[in-house]
Amino acid sequence: MAGPFSLAHPWRRGAWRALAVTLVISLVLGFIVVSRYQLHSEPLGLWAAICRGIGIRPDVQPASAPQPPLRTATLVAWTRGTLDQIAAGNAKDGLFVAQNCTACHGEGGVSTQELIPTLAGMDPAVIYKQLADYRSGKRLSPVMNAIGEALSVKNSADVASYYAGRPGGLPPVIGLRVPEGGRSLQQSNPAIRLVFAGDPARGIAPCSACHGPGGYKLSAPALQHQRTTYIESELLAFAQGMRQNDISEQMRTVARQLTPEEMHAVAVYYNAMGAE
Amino acid sequence: MYHSSRLALFHCWVAFGLFAPAVVLGFWQMLMRSPLPAPLDDPFAYYASVTLHGTVMAYVLTTFFIMGFGYAVAATSLGRPIRGMTAAWIGFAICLLGTVIAAVTVLSGRASVLYTFYPPLLASIWYYAGVFLLVGGSMIWVALMIINMIAWKRDNPGEPVPLAMFAITATALLWAWSASGVVIELLGVILPAAFGWTTQIDAGLARTLFSVTLHSIVYFWLMPAYIAYYTLAPQAAGGRLYSDLMGRLTFIMLLIFAVPVGVHHLFADPQIGGGFKYVQGFYTFLVALPTLLTVFSITASLEIAGRVRGGRGLLGWIGALPWKEPMVLAIGLSLVMLGLGGFGGFINMSFAMNSMIHNTAWVTAHFHLIFAGAAVIMYFAIAYEMWPRITGKPLRSKTLACWQLWLWFWGMLITTIPWHIAGLMGQPRRVAAFDYNIPFVARTAALVDISVIGGLILLSSAILLIIVLVRSHVGERTVIVPLRYALAVNPPARVPAALNGFAVWNSILLVLMLVVYGYPIAQFLLVLKPHSAAVYDVTRQPASVNGGP
Repeated sequence: MAGPFSLAHPWRRGAWRALAVTLVISLVLGFIVVSRYQLHSEPLGLWAAICRGIGIRPDVQPASAPQPPLRTATLVAWTRGTLDQIAAGNAKDGLFVAQNCTACHGEGGVSTQELIPTLAGMDPAVIYKQLADYRSGKRLSPVMNAIGEALSVKNSADVASYYAGRPGGLPPVIGLRVPEGGRSLQQSNPAIRLVFAGDPARGIAPCSACHGPGGYKLSAPALQHQRTTYIESELLAFAQGMRQNDISEQMRTVARQLTPEEMHAVAVYYNAMGAE
Repeated sequence: MYHSSRLALFHCWVAFGLFAPAVVLGFWQMLMRSPLPAPLDDPFAYYASVTLHGTVMAYVLTTFFIMGFGYAVAATSLGRPIRGMTAAWIGFAICLLGTVIAAVTVLSGRASVLYTFYPPLLASIWYYAGVFLLVGGSMIWVALMIINMIAWKRDNPGEPVPLAMFAITATALLWAWSASGVVIELLGVILPAAFGWTTQIDAGLARTLFSVTLHSIVYFWLMPAYIAYYTLAPQAAGGRLYSDLMGRLTFIMLLIFAVPVGVHHLFADPQIGGGFKYVQGFYTFLVALPTLLTVFSITASLEIAGRVRGGRGLLGWIGALPWKEPMVLAIGLSLVMLGLGGFGGFINMSFAMNSMIHNTAWVTAHFHLIFAGAAVIMYFAIAYEMWPRITGKPLRSKTLACWQLWLWFWGMLITTIPWHIAGLMGQPRRVAAFDYNIPFVARTAALVDISVIGGLILLSSAILLIIVLVRSHVGERTVIVPLRYALAVNPPARVPAALNGFAVWNSILLVLMLVVYGYPIAQFLLVLKPHSAAVYDVTRQPASVNGGP
């Protein structure tokens, strides 16, 4: 018996030949012929076409065209390092830091003031990012900018970890929810509709896809039981461009399209949802 | 059928037992997307439902049915007991355990990632564990099919392996090749993230690895249909197989052209170079060869049967065929759906035309027509053919069985033709609900309503299937003619070694895979890694951030 690579047998010879022929034809067509042509410019040269077919650029030099000045929404990027930094937060150390927060954010991070958010139970990544944005001036608040500058990176991770573990505030974000009827686009209540189904005509994704219940997106806080006026005022700030620290502009895009009545309705709905 | 009959029966009961509720889910999903009112209209429930529907239909129904079919084919076509019965039962238990774990996880809302589980969506670790057990357990079946074929060849030197056994071994090999992609993806990319060992995931690498599985798995699902075309249908029609050689070539080509083509699912993915997309698209087109070969030889086989039964003239033999036999009826209906779906497939696999229909309802329509239509209707026919022989209890009524097949056929057409059109009009797939107040969306409303009618017909057909099988099961036991495979017009006394085994074809496939997938996968590890934009955030972190240390 000859091995599979042996060409002694006519069937084997034919099979390997067919493989070679089809490979050559498809490689030439794919990497040389098809890759040459571009929609609105001259065909590429042979080498450039092959590189394009592979998915790399023939020139390894960076483009020399002038670049616009860099504008970023935040200095936080969700890299492995950032997430490890947050995960390393120590709740016990955070307790000391948090003593400075109680006056405004309430005992244990449960706010009693309408304009100030509840922190208890908030995702640690959210607290960490907001503190970083206050520190770098990417989110504006005279009080919080000063506090952010006073806190080290480790302080923010610690206090984030502390508040994340406090009970009685926002529900934990675990991406779970019991299905319930009446939450599709056919829902007539605008708040429920926006929260659970969004508004495709305006390109508005459902709030719950990122803020829960049910959905979770890194850096999006849970909103159930959050203070009504706080939610409403932040939506307004996003809509007016006063707040610009959402990395992909998703909140500015959504909030710009909401009417003041819708902002109010959504805020009231989210606040009440936690109280159920 | 020796001791394998109970094994095959258990596999089939799991397959069809879960198939029926999954059809109900599918119908509810159609209601959800339509302008009509749906119970429990919650988008989150929709995605959980799509995940379960897809997981059951794509992984559970198919894997269990094909394993059961494979055991039955191995026992009957070789005419001797299966080797490794204990291992087969262990494999069954592992697969069942995996299915239960995955299904419970999806139902609990922790795994709404759809059956393709594309990162950066991340499900509970239990879902992946369940899928992993199901796929892993089925590898025992793969090994047993290969072992049984090799053992038979050793005991019968020089004899041609029966076509049915040759084909089911090709199916097993195809599944092994196919599953390699998803298994490497699970072990290398997804499980580390699901366990919380890493907070980031390379979505491009995961998608590329999954694409190895994603297309070949469809051919794995189609294989039983092709096996029935070649080995069961000519016999059921009362004729002979036109050519044994064409059958062997078909199964070899299906094996080879199924795997090195998956990148045509990634035509819109930026990480893969256009050249590789073109080459894989090129090989995708070559599947036309085994398909046309099959259409030719099956039509010829049926013509032989029709003429034996007294059909005259150019087309008179068609009317003379026994259309009241479920197997014959199913093959006719299946070929119609395969033809329609196949033409749609040419659009999908075309490098440029794909962008017209990418991620639209067209795609959903296409794979429902090909898989749920052409393949699954043959599963029904195979069940009707094999069930009585396994249990010794005949179908109470072949008319009812034929009704079931007709309903499935019309239901599938009425469902998928409007979907195709809606897709061309731009309706996206995998969207929970549409706002039909928007004029652009409103244009598709009537089409979606019509497809719901198709869904209702499919649902009634699925219920009828269970009724037919249960009625047979509780019926009287009678003596039944054992399962026989179609003889070829010229039964082969000897076949070339290359057409009696898979060594050369596996080698060719390996070379092909290295050429067309080597760089597209290696680039993620070698070239893109340091400055890759394709490393996505994990959107749900179970332990690393939320829980804290």
